[in-house]
Amino acid sequence: MVLAVAAINTGNNALYIAVALMLGSLLLSGLASKGGLKGLDVEIAGIDEAWAKRPAEGTIRVRNRSRLWNVRDVVLVSDAFAEPVLIPFLPRGERTQFVAFLFPRRGLAHVTTIDSYTRYPFGFVLKKRRLRVESEVVVFPALLAEDGNHDRLHPVAGEQASSGRLGHGTEIHSFREYVRGDSLRQVHWKKSASLGRWIMKQSEAEAAHAVHVVVDPFKPREMSEDAFEEMISAAATFIHDAARRGFDVTLSLPRVSVHARASESATPLFRALALVEPMHERVHQIVDRDAVLFSVAGPAAERPASGRPHAEAR
Amino acid sequence: MNRKHREIELLVLTMFAAVPLYFTFSVSIAALVIFHVILGAIAVRVAMGKGPALIPARLMRAIAIAYIPFYLIDWRVLSGSAIAASTHLVLFIALYQPIESLQRDNRLQRLLTASLIFIASIATSFHMAVLPFILAFVFLMFRQLMVVSHLESARIAGADDVELPTARTAGFYVIGAGMIALFLFPLLPRVRSPLVQGIGGPNPRRSTGLSESINFGEGRVTSQNTAVISRVWVDRRTRQMFDAIRLRGTIYDRYDRDEWRQTYRGYRELPSMDDAIAIAKAKGVESTATVQQVVQRGKVLLPVGAVSVSGMPARLFEGPTPQTYHTYYDGMLNLSVQMAYQAEPLQLTRVAVPKYPVLPEVAALARRIVGTDTTPVGRARRIEQYLMKNYRYVPNPASLGKTMSVDDFLLRERAGHCEYFAAGMVVLLTALDVPSRIAGGYYGGRYNPITGYYVIRRSDAHAWTEVWDGTRWLTFDSTPEVLRPGASTGSVLREYVAALGDSLNFVWDRYILSFGLADQLALAEDLLVRGRATLASLRQKLSTDALKVGTRQYGALAAIVIALGAMVALIVRRRRSLFDALARYLKKHGIEVGPAMTMEEALDQLRRQHPDAARELAPLIAMYEEERFSSHEDRKRRTRIRRKLAELRA
Repeated sequence: MVLAVAAINTGNNALYIAVALMLGSLLLSGLASKGGLKGLDVEIAGIDEAWAKRPAEGTIRVRNRSRLWNVRDVVLVSDAFAEPVLIPFLPRGERTQFVAFLFPRRGLAHVTTIDSYTRYPFGFVLKKRRLRVESEVVVFPALLAEDGNHDRLHPVAGEQASSGRLGHGTEIHSFREYVRGDSLRQVHWKKSASLGRWIMKQSEAEAAHAVHVVVDPFKPREMSEDAFEEMISAAATFIHDAARRGFDVTLSLPRVSVHARASESATPLFRALALVEPMHERVHQIVDRDAVLFSVAGPAAERPASGRPHAEAR
Repeated sequence: MNRKHREIELLVLTMFAAVPLYFTFSVSIAALVIFHVILGAIAVRVAMGKGPALIPARLMRAIAIAYIPFYLIDWRVLSGSAIAASTHLVLFIALYQPIESLQRDNRLQRLLTASLIFIASIATSFHMAVLPFILAFVFLMFRQLMVVSHLESARIAGADDVELPTARTAGFYVIGAGMIALFLFPLLPRVRSPLVQGIGGPNPRRSTGLSESINFGEGRVTSQNTAVISRVWVDRRTRQMFDAIRLRGTIYDRYDRDEWRQTYRGYRELPSMDDAIAIAKAKGVESTATVQQVVQRGKVLLPVGAVSVSGMPARLFEGPTPQTYHTYYDGMLNLSVQMAYQAEPLQLTRVAVPKYPVLPEVAALARRIVGTDTTPVGRARRIEQYLMKNYRYVPNPASLGKTMSVDDFLLRERAGHCEYFAAGMVVLLTALDVPSRIAGGYYGGRYNPITGYYVIRRSDAHAWTEVWDGTRWLTFDSTPEVLRPGASTGSVLREYVAALGDSLNFVWDRYILSFGLADQLALAEDLLVRGRATLASLRQKLSTDALKVGTRQYGALAAIVIALGAMVALIVRRRRSLFDALARYLKKHGIEVGPAMTMEEALDQLRRQHPDAARELAPLIAMYEEERFSSHEDRKRRTRIRRKLAELRA
């Protein structure tokens, strides 16, 4: 602007050369930044375990398709990124870049857009392009601070330590729902026949280092979403802690039970928890006497008379 | 490039921006020297790994506060110019900012300051050397801007590792911007501000090189300055009409108090008609010359024989003496001058014989020279020849070792420079009562074989005699021809190198420096005329050639055109988007795919109307959607869809 005014005032063509160069550089910078962004493709290559409210490591594949323009100083911004990502320089080709993802809540997160911004080359203008991506991520529930969860596990852990029932481990200790992979030998045929679904026997020894977690998804209308999420997080934290301590963990949800042995990953359990939706009507669930119940609506699940006192989400 | 290098480069850029100011004299040299010494010292400190605080920050702040009243003093007293004082202020800010950068990141402000210095530098620059300076500055500026932009992006992203753009990248953008600028430069509107008529500072190099009067009692100096005064094109006919090009600048027609002076008769505006300004009446053969010159102190130097001028960007005045011209335009002129073998004054003014106290010996000499010849022209010719043959030319007046009068020149010394020859002839003609005068200006010039023009420099300053024959002023030059300015020659190679250099200068002067609104209009007009002419000739050709359409040649041409058209149609068809291709297929089955309709919806409609066709098309639409919403293009998939669609159509 100053240059243009000076050119008009003096009429000196040296200034007009500078003005022409300035306009040329403006035009070129617009073309360069647009060309760089236009040729840019981003694809989410993979994300490690994603927990709500915790950064998760992942990778994106960045590709420059432009034959003419290099991608330079492009900042990628997305709701799924923990912080903006800088691509300092990318000539024609592809490269993989580590990115920290951050999801605010559990569930199935769809990453559909990534915004790319650049001020390259001269910082005169900020150019933006929205990149379409197709990616689905199952975000596990947020884990609560660990201090509170030790207490929950104490009854189970304490029982394991003081149990004198390790012995043969053949006595029936409790029942639980069938989980894929269970042996047919453990089926309690009588109960299964009466209830119309597979009910498994649990021996005492097995129960000693096993945890059965029941999550009741019933959410009364007056109860807040946050309370429900808090309950799911508490269950996830409990399972996470139990799995870390080497317990077999069984998670029971209405119509589905997921089991993870101590030697296995508890990912399927967290995945199930991630996808639990609140229900506005009660669903009948059997809770054995040792099961740990997580519910926002108080005890409602059917519990055998001999059952041990249950843990509830507070 | 680490932080230290970046800082040094920024300091160098700031120093570099001020270099042309040494040559344009728009600010004081002392201020520039101080500026460069301090910034240089800061750069050395930074290079040694120390901070830029050459002067403690506190002291610098105190100096900055003290500068505010100093600015007023500078403006009113020291520089006497707001422009110069403001430039000094910007230079001071440029010194202050590196020290201030310790407190906060002011890189962008520093670049802005460097840009302001750059503008001050080029606003008063007219030499061709400013072009490489601009390119070098822009290169350094681009590098700095890229660094700032990159660091800002890295800061936003919280990135540590920086991958700064290289010099090659900056070079690429300089070339790219230069190419765009090449196209934009002639198109930028050359509109002058009606409020501020130029902010350029005084340029002491600007003078006409012609003195106001001739005083032989004082020592005279011959200019060796090679600054270009004018460039003149003349065609072959004009060259035959005149012995050489003479640009008349001053008329000394009055002798008063031992000096040859000009008779000031004020300025008379010359009327313009159809862009042409008549300055004399033409008689005899006419021809055209083109004159390019920078106006020096308002003086317009026109060739002797000029009768009309066109292309004047401002009003032209005759004055202060008759047959000399003046304008208030300050810039470069590109004039088309109509010349005639005989040019008579438009208005008759009183022509008198100079009141020179002619000595009896001089009068006797004059009579002896002319003999029985009685006509003014005949007498003038005899005197011219006499002086040429019998008097010696001394190119350097200082070599005479003393001052002498015209009488001494005529009667005793018989040697002198061009002004003595011109004045001697006037004195001799005065003795014979023939009205004559001394004309000062430029003579000859050097022919440039590359561009075909005569370049006239300040060293070509010359004086000659003009004699009144009763109707017009005739030119006589009693200085021996071989000894006149511009007659000395160097080696051929040197001449050509000089010509090449001057050609470059000419291109700069004509097409860059003096490119103005008139040129833009001429360019637009030229393009328009050429366009019309091309259209008209095309029409003509088409109408005359219409009969030849049946011939073999035209048949082949038509076949080529048809083949090309078919090829283009094929490419266009291939390039048609998949959506369009599918929509076209659906239209055949009566489904109109609207702009807000998806392929899935269209397929549903097709299912209802033509279930069989829908069954066939469904996999293609699935593939299309997969392709459409995929993050990357799959050319093979697209080809597969097109091929299958073609099969369906078949």
